Amino acid sequence: MKHRTKFFVLILMAVFVIPAFGQDLTPREIIQKADEKFNGELTSTAVMAMTIVRPTWERTIEFKNWTSGREYALTLITAPAKEKGQTFLKRQNEMWTWNPTISRLIKLPPSMMSQGWMGSDYTNDDILKESSVVNDYEHELMGEEELNGRLCYKIKMLAKEEAAVIWGHQIRWIDKKDFLFLKSELYDEDGYLVRTETGSEVKLMDGRLITSRIELVPAEEDGQLTIIEMKEMKFNEPIKESFFSQQNMKRIR
Amino acid sequence: MNNLKLAWRNLWRNRRRTLITSASIFFAVFFALIMRSVQLGTYDHMYKNVIESYTGYIQVQHKDFWDEKIVDNTFPEEAGMNKLLLDDKNVAATIPRLESFALASNGHQSKGVVVMGMDPEKEKHLSKVNDKRVKYRLSPAAINMINGEESVPEKVKEMLALVENKSYSSSSRLQLDLDLEDKEASEVLPLIEKYSKFENGSIHMGEPGVWVGDKLSQYLELGIGDTIVLISQGYHGSTAAGKYEIKGIVKLPLPDLDNKIVYLPLDICQELFNAENMITSLSLALLNTDDKSVNTTMERLSTIIPGEQKLMEWREMNELMVSQMDADDKGGQIMLGILYLVIAFGVFGTVLMLTAERKREFGVLVAIGMQKKKLASVMTMEMILIGLLGIMAGAFVASSLILYGVNHPIVFKGEAALMFEDMGFEPQLAFWPIDNYYISQILIVVFMVLLAIIYPTRKIFGMKVVNALRA
Repeated sequence: MKHRTKFFVLILMAVFVIPAFGQDLTPREIIQKADEKFNGELTSTAVMAMTIVRPTWERTIEFKNWTSGREYALTLITAPAKEKGQTFLKRQNEMWTWNPTISRLIKLPPSMMSQGWMGSDYTNDDILKESSVVNDYEHELMGEEELNGRLCYKIKMLAKEEAAVIWGHQIRWIDKKDFLFLKSELYDEDGYLVRTETGSEVKLMDGRLITSRIELVPAEEDGQLTIIEMKEMKFNEPIKESFFSQQNMKRIR
Repeated sequence: MNNLKLAWRNLWRNRRRTLITSASIFFAVFFALIMRSVQLGTYDHMYKNVIESYTGYIQVQHKDFWDEKIVDNTFPEEAGMNKLLLDDKNVAATIPRLESFALASNGHQSKGVVVMGMDPEKEKHLSKVNDKRVKYRLSPAAINMINGEESVPEKVKEMLALVENKSYSSSSRLQLDLDLEDKEASEVLPLIEKYSKFENGSIHMGEPGVWVGDKLSQYLELGIGDTIVLISQGYHGSTAAGKYEIKGIVKLPLPDLDNKIVYLPLDICQELFNAENMITSLSLALLNTDDKSVNTTMERLSTIIPGEQKLMEWREMNELMVSQMDADDKGGQIMLGILYLVIAFGVFGTVLMLTAERKREFGVLVAIGMQKKKLASVMTMEMILIGLLGIMAGAFVASSLILYGVNHPIVFKGEAALMFEDMGFEPQLAFWPIDNYYISQILIVVFMVLLAIIYPTRKIFGMKVVNALRA
């Protein structure tokens, strides 16, 4: 009986203490966890809508996105009708775009990585995820802050010298319980705030909690913003590497 | 009256001296007027080229378009505003355009181009792109065929080598570049035309199809029936991409534009850029195009243009060209200044000689009782008469040449013409009709003569009779 009590205590400890150990993560692990939660550990499939807001007009683009790890990504525009069928492919460090109206496959030069994607405030780099929030930065825990009633880690990410990233440093607020990117401030090399991203409307998708609405506000432009809404997300479904091919760019619907 | 008579007689006492002095003034006036006329005429011609083939005299634009030429800075084409503009007494037609930039490609060649959406029918009022389509192109193949003909003289074959790959939209220009006399031309030209003939199609509203500039077509290695791919950013950041069949090739008198222009029917262009019914500019064809009419029309129109749009005059739209011409104009004025300086010394030299020659004569006249004042006034009249003679003769000869030249510009032929074209100019010297510049040039010469009078009059008043008699 005594042994059983000991065993019970052990199990109790396993249940209560180990997660507590888990709470004691390094800043790098926190970022990695949040990143993997949003992008999937292996693969992800997402249906999204992007609304570009400008002082005098706004417009919405709908698209599907498949990713596999950091290396492969494919994006297909599904609306509006005129742009439907355009695809963007990333394989390792190379990127292409396919435009069905002119039947042309165009390779994107690295110089275009910091340019707006489809006229939005998102850069090609944001969409194709060339740089990694985990590997390209040094992470430092700045403390904990409450944001919209959620307790957050506040982490400063300083870009590594050799990393090919367009930001100087970032400050991210990550939900302590669910590992959600709730807010990110992105600064350029000179330390000026370039844009703020906020995640909201937490929803359950494919079994995990996700911020289903991301708002991106450029710091210098008045009345400009881009909103991304996640309509549907699936994680870690098997996607073969051959899915991310130039042939598939032209075929996929 | 007596003085004038004396002066007149004095002039013809020594005919040669009078003629030499007035000849130097004649040349001053003649060269100054011709130089100015050619300069002003050539500027005007170049401005006309750019205005009539591209910008037009006045454009209505979205207020931000000029600073940021993107498709977002457009405005809808409205019948109401069109009518308001057409109601103006000097506006003959309004020509809608949608202008933007794109990357054009054909296979591995690509180039940034200006995409101009326009209504081919309406352009007939202004740019007349229709008439600028290439009629003859001397491709290496065509030249080979022509060289194979026995009736073509050697001289023409040599010239043909110089115009390889050039295109022409009229046979008269072709004749000039080949330096053919009319008689020769009637024999040889039909042959050359036969081999170099270029079949162009037209573009119409509602039908996909483009015209491209001659130089651009050669750079992208595109011909009639080939497909050009355009890719750009459209209205509100959308993707603009399309492929179009080339229906025709146009040769514009502006090499800069010829290099990068693609014409599309307006509605097709609006579809490409996702800008339904939007235009970037409304170019106005005017009835009276002189500076004053353009300015008053601008003033009248500025009251009826809504705040979202603004009026642009051709000078603002062609700022670079206007300042280039201004710089060239300043250079021309410096040349004129040097010309005047040379001639002023020529006139002064003859006057100096004249005074020295007549020193004894002056001494005698004063000694026998002629007042110095009277002598000086006779002398002054002589000089004024010489000046008038020179100015009138110069203005007369220059005017007759200019009056003829206004309707018959000097057109260069053969190699000289090709050299001009390579530098981006039309091989032509145009004349500017008789105008205000006449007054300023003539006044300057009059001033020069008056300056020259000072010397003999001073000499007369300062003359010591005893010394003069001994001279």
